[in-house]
Amino acid sequence: MAEIIMPKMGDAMTEGKVVRWYKKAGDAVKKGEPVLEIETDKVNLDLEAEQDGTLGDVAAEAGKMVEVGGVLATILGAGEKAQPKKEAAAAAPAAAEAPARRAIDKKDSIKHSTGEYGEAIDMKAPRVDRTSAPSSAAPASGDNGRRRSSPLARKMARELGVSIEQVQGSGPGGRIVANDIKNFKPSAAAPQKAKASSLPPVQKLETKEIPLTAMRRTIAKRLAESTGPIPHFYLTAEYDVTNLLSLREQINEIAGIKTSVNDFIVRAAALALRHHPNVNASWGDEAITQHGEIHIGIAVSTPEGLITPVVRNADQKSVTDISNEVRTLADKAKNRKLTPNDYQGSTFTISNLGAWGIEEFTAIINPPNVAILAIGAASAQPVVIDRQVVIRDRMKVTMSCDHRVVDGALGAEYLRTLRSYIEQPVRLIL
Amino acid sequence: MSEKSYRDAIRDAMMEEMDRDANVLIMGEDIGVYEGTFRITAGMLKKYGPKRVIDTPIAEAGMAGTAVGMAMLGLRPIVEMMTMNFAIVAADQILNHAAKVRYFSGGQVDVPMVIRGPQGAGVQLSAQHSQTFESFYAHFPGIKVVAPATPADAKGLLKTSIRGRDPVIFLESAALYGMKGEVPDDADFTVPFGVSRIAREGSDVTIVSYSRMLQMSLIAAEKLAEEGIECEVIDLRTLRPLDLDPAYESVAKTHRCVVVQEQWKPFGAAAEIAASITENVFDELDAPVARVTGEDVPMPYARNLELLATPHEQHVIAAVKKVMYANG
Repeated sequence: MAEIIMPKMGDAMTEGKVVRWYKKAGDAVKKGEPVLEIETDKVNLDLEAEQDGTLGDVAAEAGKMVEVGGVLATILGAGEKAQPKKEAAAAAPAAAEAPARRAIDKKDSIKHSTGEYGEAIDMKAPRVDRTSAPSSAAPASGDNGRRRSSPLARKMARELGVSIEQVQGSGPGGRIVANDIKNFKPSAAAPQKAKASSLPPVQKLETKEIPLTAMRRTIAKRLAESTGPIPHFYLTAEYDVTNLLSLREQINEIAGIKTSVNDFIVRAAALALRHHPNVNASWGDEAITQHGEIHIGIAVSTPEGLITPVVRNADQKSVTDISNEVRTLADKAKNRKLTPNDYQGSTFTISNLGAWGIEEFTAIINPPNVAILAIGAASAQPVVIDRQVVIRDRMKVTMSCDHRVVDGALGAEYLRTLRSYIEQPVRLIL
Repeated sequence: MSEKSYRDAIRDAMMEEMDRDANVLIMGEDIGVYEGTFRITAGMLKKYGPKRVIDTPIAEAGMAGTAVGMAMLGLRPIVEMMTMNFAIVAADQILNHAAKVRYFSGGQVDVPMVIRGPQGAGVQLSAQHSQTFESFYAHFPGIKVVAPATPADAKGLLKTSIRGRDPVIFLESAALYGMKGEVPDDADFTVPFGVSRIAREGSDVTIVSYSRMLQMSLIAAEKLAEEGIECEVIDLRTLRPLDLDPAYESVAKTHRCVVVQEQWKPFGAAAEIAASITENVFDELDAPVARVTGEDVPMPYARNLELLATPHEQHVIAAVKKVMYANG
């Protein structure tokens, strides 16, 4: 007796389908004669009789799935009787490793010239495509938080002025593709960054010590030796305050309070420090301390002398709040009612002699700060804009810097950021 | 114009050039009395005699070396390799001699010779006889590599090969020999090297290919068109010189590219083409350039395995959909 079993026609094959029987139980079969047709996930095959005999039980009807190794039929030799019917699926899996039967590929109709290879090509196995990124709901950002995007998508984003960070990618792995840019609606996302002039990013404020590097120690030592305990240097910038003055007028009119130009400058200086926390710092022999909060000292003259009450967390306060607070502090100072809490702990100082008509001056750093702003008087000046002479209000600001901590370029960058706030004062109320 | 098979177009090109120039001759295994394993040289021995239609021993290096000598001294030999697989034996003559003689002679000596023959899979000739060689030869400066996809190009490019100054590897697709197409009758019809053509216009995806895979890509493009996807199909015609300008222009339009080759994926022609596209029109790409290639195995003899190891329309269709980010 011989069995015809479901052959394993490929590593991936676990079962096959009986398509049709050419013979029925009791029919005589010859060795090599096709007995039935099966279908695998790749091809259709005829299974042949391995010996002469009579077809015994047919274990699976046409249309049935049978697992690999399962018995499909038996062929009985002369005098042999049919065995009790076996369940095809119950066959031991080990039978799967039995020698494969000879098979004839039914679908292999070959055309050598071009194309038309039919279904014989298995599109699932065994080709491995490593170029496909997982298309599941992968995060929109790729490795290291970088957002995946096609070159064309980036080009289109540049041309359309779309910020690619705001676009949701629909491609594999969240890749942003051309269609995503095309279909992007800016209103649906966060407001676009103002195009005017780009500010350096606002940095996370935290109190931390930055250990002194050898270079920093050397800079500190050499500069201190040459110019005294705090090696000062000075940077002067002239800002256009026309818009700021007009904004102040409007606020005073609407809010019914009397803000000063200095209140705006306090807020501007504090906001600018957010972009340059390394200016909001103190020098120490072992480390530079960067402060996690922004407290602006304001130089106030009293009959007794100079004192600098502090507006704490000035970057988190509105111009009007600052204005009220400064007025209270100044009154307290003049009445000698300041408590240490009112005048200690500044991280940055502003000195304004504009009210005295001083155009520009230099201030001495208020330790342990590493910088101070000296604000001059605003005055109407002829300036050239677009090759036209126009009258604008201008104001000179001089920053004194502790060179041990603040190098020239850093001070200059701070003044450039400050310019954005002062010349586009709408940023102060955003 | 008349309708000719790819096979007849190749024969016509050789016979027209032999009529035109007495220096043109052909040699190869079984090309004379037997009239060629693929019947390319049918009737040629009878017409031109054994001095110009030379049956050689089975000695490809000798054939190629003889041709180099003939070419250096002014003849224009054509060497028929029974299949291009056998030319591996002659690789030293082709790559180290034919390709170098002009350079070594300071430009004094040309080697105008053509080595032609069939290549490719699909006819159950197993691992040694089913290979494709375009990237192998196109890697070397000093030779031209031609791979026509149509009867007209087979004729026009072979005539250019025979008339030129350079050693030419003329790669025929065995599977295309029976393919018919319109071929110009003009005895001076030639197709220049290094001029790719747009075989099919489309707006959605650029398919770049050559030889038999070009025809397969066209079939895939027609099937895709039924689904509303229009492919532009570029026929490179020659791999060296390689004209990718139409491909660049096309990618600038479609922003997606699939390169189709029969040979193995690593270091193949598709790699060169895809890299060039990335270098030249990077900003136009909306998806990585996809490659459709043969499987990275020696070609199996078994028909079902051979089918699995070679690229088919389904693979082109899948690649096109992939670069379109279309599922299915």
